[in-house]
Amino acid sequence: MQTSSPVIRLRGVGKSYPAAGGDFHSLSDLDLDIDPGEFVAVIGPSGSGKSTLLNLLAGIDRAGSGELSVAGQDLRVLPERALSRWRGRAVGVVFQFFQLLPTLTALENVMLPMDFCDQWPAAERAARALALLERLGVADQADKFPSALSGGQQQRVALARALANAPSLLLADEPTGNLDSANAEAMLTLLAGLAREQGVTVVMVTHEAAALSQVQRSLRLRDGRLVEDRRHG
Amino acid sequence: MADRRALKSWRDLWQHRTRSLLVVLAVALGLTAAGTILNAWALVERATDQGFRASQPVSATLVLDRADAQALALARTQPDIASARLRRSLGASVLANGRARNAVVVALDDFARDDIARLQAESPAWPPGDAGLWMERSSLDFSGASVGEPVSLRLAGASESQTVDIAGLVRDVGLAPGWMENLVYLYGSEAALARLGAPAGFNELQLRVRNGGATRAEVRHSATALQARLEAAGFTVKSIDVPEPGQHIHAAQMDSLLMTQGAFGVMALVACGFLVINLVSAMLAGQVREIAVMKVLGGSPRQIGAMALTQAGALGLLACAIALPAALWLGRTYGGLKAELLNFTLDGIATPAWSILLQLAVGLALPVAAAALPVRAALRRPVGEALRDIGITREGEALNLRRGALAARLVPLLGGWARPLLLSVGNAMRRRQRMVLTVLALASGGAVFLGAANLRSAVRGSVDELFGAQRYQLQLRLAMPAPAARLEGLAVEVPGIAQAQAWRNLRTTLAGEPLTLLGVPADGLLAPRLIEGRWLDGGTGAQLVVTRLLQKHLPALVVGSTHRFADRDWTVIGLVDGGPQALAYAPRAALDAVAGNDLASSLVLRLERPESTMALLDAVRQLREAFTEAGHPVAGSQSQAENRRVVEDHLLMVVDFLGGMGVVMIAVGAMGLASTMGLAVLERRREIGVLRAIGAGDGAILAMVQAEGLTLVVLSWVVSLPLSLPLSALLEVAFGRIMFSVPWRLVPGPGVVLGWLGLMTVISLLACTLPARRALRVPVSRALAYA
Repeated sequence: MQTSSPVIRLRGVGKSYPAAGGDFHSLSDLDLDIDPGEFVAVIGPSGSGKSTLLNLLAGIDRAGSGELSVAGQDLRVLPERALSRWRGRAVGVVFQFFQLLPTLTALENVMLPMDFCDQWPAAERAARALALLERLGVADQADKFPSALSGGQQQRVALARALANAPSLLLADEPTGNLDSANAEAMLTLLAGLAREQGVTVVMVTHEAAALSQVQRSLRLRDGRLVEDRRHG
Repeated sequence: MADRRALKSWRDLWQHRTRSLLVVLAVALGLTAAGTILNAWALVERATDQGFRASQPVSATLVLDRADAQALALARTQPDIASARLRRSLGASVLANGRARNAVVVALDDFARDDIARLQAESPAWPPGDAGLWMERSSLDFSGASVGEPVSLRLAGASESQTVDIAGLVRDVGLAPGWMENLVYLYGSEAALARLGAPAGFNELQLRVRNGGATRAEVRHSATALQARLEAAGFTVKSIDVPEPGQHIHAAQMDSLLMTQGAFGVMALVACGFLVINLVSAMLAGQVREIAVMKVLGGSPRQIGAMALTQAGALGLLACAIALPAALWLGRTYGGLKAELLNFTLDGIATPAWSILLQLAVGLALPVAAAALPVRAALRRPVGEALRDIGITREGEALNLRRGALAARLVPLLGGWARPLLLSVGNAMRRRQRMVLTVLALASGGAVFLGAANLRSAVRGSVDELFGAQRYQLQLRLAMPAPAARLEGLAVEVPGIAQAQAWRNLRTTLAGEPLTLLGVPADGLLAPRLIEGRWLDGGTGAQLVVTRLLQKHLPALVVGSTHRFADRDWTVIGLVDGGPQALAYAPRAALDAVAGNDLASSLVLRLERPESTMALLDAVRQLREAFTEAGHPVAGSQSQAENRRVVEDHLLMVVDFLGGMGVVMIAVGAMGLASTMGLAVLERRREIGVLRAIGAGDGAILAMVQAEGLTLVVLSWVVSLPLSLPLSALLEVAFGRIMFSVPWRLVPGPGVVLGWLGLMTVISLLACTLPARRALRVPVSRALAYA
């Protein structure tokens, strides 16, 4: 899917971290455009800069250099408070270890982003959260706390939570890394469906070679540089 | 359904209920301590307003040769005088239920007046009739008497005791309590006193000035004007007494006492604040990643901060629910005690609403304010950094490197324990801010504890000094003055009396202030500690040795100075430590010369068997018999042991309260230590997992946690020692202002210092038990997981 206005636009982006032996360059001089509705996998060995890229796109980390525009927003100029609000409305994030809040039920976890961003009327939030859980096949687990859910169920709840505010961009950090193969496959299918049927742009960091069969495009990073940008059938 | 943020806040509190409970207890404890003082102060203030000031206290008392209707009319016609009354007071002794007490019997021209020093009847049949006496209520328990029952009373100067009924109880809020002054106050009509053998008529004129805001100088001016008019009319004015207007006799001491204790209440609150900072930090440390996740989900720092501060406020509200009723009850109990010291009652007086509201506001604000800093720090932490937090920090890295080098040197000397021990010591120092707060909270509790111990020792030392200077065991007060040599001769003939000395006294005024001179033989049974100058030399010269408390009241009485009173020039030759006594000693011969006779009014006696109570009682009985037989009836007797007990009880009550404050602060400190250690274990879950994975057994982990706690305790102990020095000085200065100067005891005794260390060690072992057990419960696999 091609449009004139990319949802993600990076120009000369770099990021380094202080380390004992001097600065460690996690990303160097990265140029990248991702269009709306694309399902993109970011692959590469450990330490290649995959998670760093995802964190920059989510506004979790700040780029050290270059230009970075995500979902129409120049992230360099956004203060922390506005960044949180922007992230809550424009971006959904799925973590490898789910990161569900342990003292909230599945349903409440999904409703929390709506409470933060206030995009949906308070009276509609429960129904919307339930509908999301329903779509992801875990509505029957709505009243359970995360500790009572399996890994696959937790990841589905986490995905529902990421979609709570109907973001245009979904970022997933190793979403299948902690799942068995059946659940991993199901998760990839869900992500692909989101991109294909609802036009959500999905950027996923993964180690799984099997994931490449579901994505439209893969970006290979090595030592902080983009070494391959490949489109799949 | 409630907002998820509120739900999460509540469930987080419940999930960390031990820590939440600690915060609640910490705030409740500090708030109870401070609230008790505040409530007590507010109640005593109200009681003072509604009791003392509303009683229309006397502005001045003039002692005349006679006080009659003419004198009263002169007073009442003076424009600046609002009201006046006639009074007579007489010394006496009372015997009731086997207790002999000194007494003051008061007659008034009109007991029903309510425009000057109003008396409050606490029994029916007021005012007193011509039969029976009324007793001031604060004297009742102390006297051993009961209402409606007779007592044996002998007026000073009377040869025989008489039986008189106690007709009722009256409250005179202008007096210090009888039990405190060691006096029984009795009231009766002029006729009732005449029946007991008192001289007819009155000899005092009491007045109240019209200007309620008059200063002491203005009152004295009015009294002096009246004196001139009285003298012009043929009266002789012997003395004028002007108390501090509007102030109860003990009000200044009470204010100082409550202020000092209030300062400790605030200190306890501050220590609680340290603890709450640590506890909130602990809660937030466990939620670093959750906060980051909430930020990722769109939560703004303000929203997440509001959640954390709401949690703190909720804990404050819970603490208020515990502390406010407790402080209300304790404040009333403590305030009642204070009111009793002022001879007031709190009956019908409610704790003011502002005091309760202030406590509520502090209770809510304290945890919120204490939480604000750690919450701010947690919210400012970058999301990425928080998400990457794996529980192993770089903090204390430099120290750890130094520790590593030290361990390399110590291991050959101390064996295998050196490295884990040094690891614990290093761990205790890793979070500097938290370590400082924990150490400060514990050390300040310890400093108050040590300060209170020093003050107790100083007060005991002062009392020892005071009574050590009195080398006699018994004092007799005679109904009528008699020749000194005769009294001494009679006393030493009584079996069991080793030595007897007759004393006399002279009451006069200096610069308008009352001054009591005690005439004693130079080589006598009295040897107070000399601070400056010298003791009496046995001559007959007009020499004075003043006590430190008298010098405080009359600063002009410095050694070497000369003052004219009683028609002579008196030179101050020495300054002694007289504890709570404000008087001057002079050679008895000098007072004899002033009076023109050698009459004495009291005797001090050294017993052959000073340690025997039976010998003392026997001596009192035989002395009374011998003196009565010789025509010198005894008006009262007092043993020094009893005197000492009364003095000590009142002084140590104040000290014990300070000790109580120290205990509160130590409890707060102990909770701080427990929370700090809990937090340390929580934060180093992964490290502990690693240690266990490489072979550390349960015993080693337990020992390391306990050693870390002990490191903090030893640090607190070390800090508390120098901290107790200025605090002891402060306490002793404050005590000196409130009561009387005590000898400085700034350095606690080795027993106290080691006892404090022992107590701290026990506290540490207890405080670390739960965190240590928690450390053991961490499964290695879970501790090492990066989820």
